[in-house]
Amino acid sequence: MESIGKVSQWVFDIGGTRLVVNSTTIIMTWVVIGLVLAFAWVATRGRGLIPGPWQQIAEFLVQWFRELVRDALGHAYEERYFPLICALFIFLLFCNWVGVFPGMEEPTKDINTTLGLGVMGFFIAHGTAIKVKGLKQYLKEYFEPMFFLMPLNVVGEIAKVISISFRLFGNIMGGSIIIIVVTHLVYGLLLPPFLYGFFGLFVGTVQAFVFTMLTLVYISVQIR
Amino acid sequence: MAVEISGADIVRAAAMLGAGIAMGIGAFGPGLGEGIVAGKACEAIGRNPREAGLLTRTMLVGQAVAESTGIYSLVVALLLIFVV
Repeated sequence: MESIGKVSQWVFDIGGTRLVVNSTTIIMTWVVIGLVLAFAWVATRGRGLIPGPWQQIAEFLVQWFRELVRDALGHAYEERYFPLICALFIFLLFCNWVGVFPGMEEPTKDINTTLGLGVMGFFIAHGTAIKVKGLKQYLKEYFEPMFFLMPLNVVGEIAKVISISFRLFGNIMGGSIIIIVVTHLVYGLLLPPFLYGFFGLFVGTVQAFVFTMLTLVYISVQIR
Repeated sequence: MAVEISGADIVRAAAMLGAGIAMGIGAFGPGLGEGIVAGKACEAIGRNPREAGLLTRTMLVGQAVAESTGIYSLVVALLLIFVV
């Protein structure tokens, strides 16, 4: 129970500025990156016309997301945004699943990870909008339908980032707190494995998919 | 025997109470909304069982988005418990 709300940190002093780094998040993010690389290596090793199980999984993921991106963005932008969307989903999926293993923690349990990814999606969507529509048209859309609604439109765009990142963070954090509390109450008997299955695997998959889909939708809203 | 309750204790108690109220009222809306979404999805699948996969996917995404207000209240409750 004591582990709820505790964050282990590294504090550096570089040139008079105090840098605080969440050590668990950094380490677990690198573990996740290693796992994704291992998955890629296993899936692409010994490729063949008759796919092995890992190649099958990877092909399914790639094909599925290619279709999703094509449906949302159309043929013209498919090649360009498909790698981003697919990589985002696989990274988040591994992030959310890694907490199922004992002693591991989800990097997405830290608001910094999710907020970083949300801000990344925000800049990509708006950069795309400026590139596709031109700066003038892009700025003009903030003053629609009436010019005095501009602050509302700006707040609406910023609220998207906050809502997308807090959704992922809250789901993973809430799930892990519920697991800790219930495990404490029942002394680790019988119930926690099912909770790990539900919060870790099911909610983790759904939230990773939702985060990816919303990033895709934000990009497609800006393109249209 | 009177028990002294100082200002910090009252703040702590109010934070705990606020967390409970935030979670209780905040979970009400998303629960209602997600139930309606699931019911409508069941109706649609009953009418058109061939599209069950697409409908389930859309339903899950819609529910996860509708859930966000509940998640906000969870974050607020966590802040009240651990930060205040």
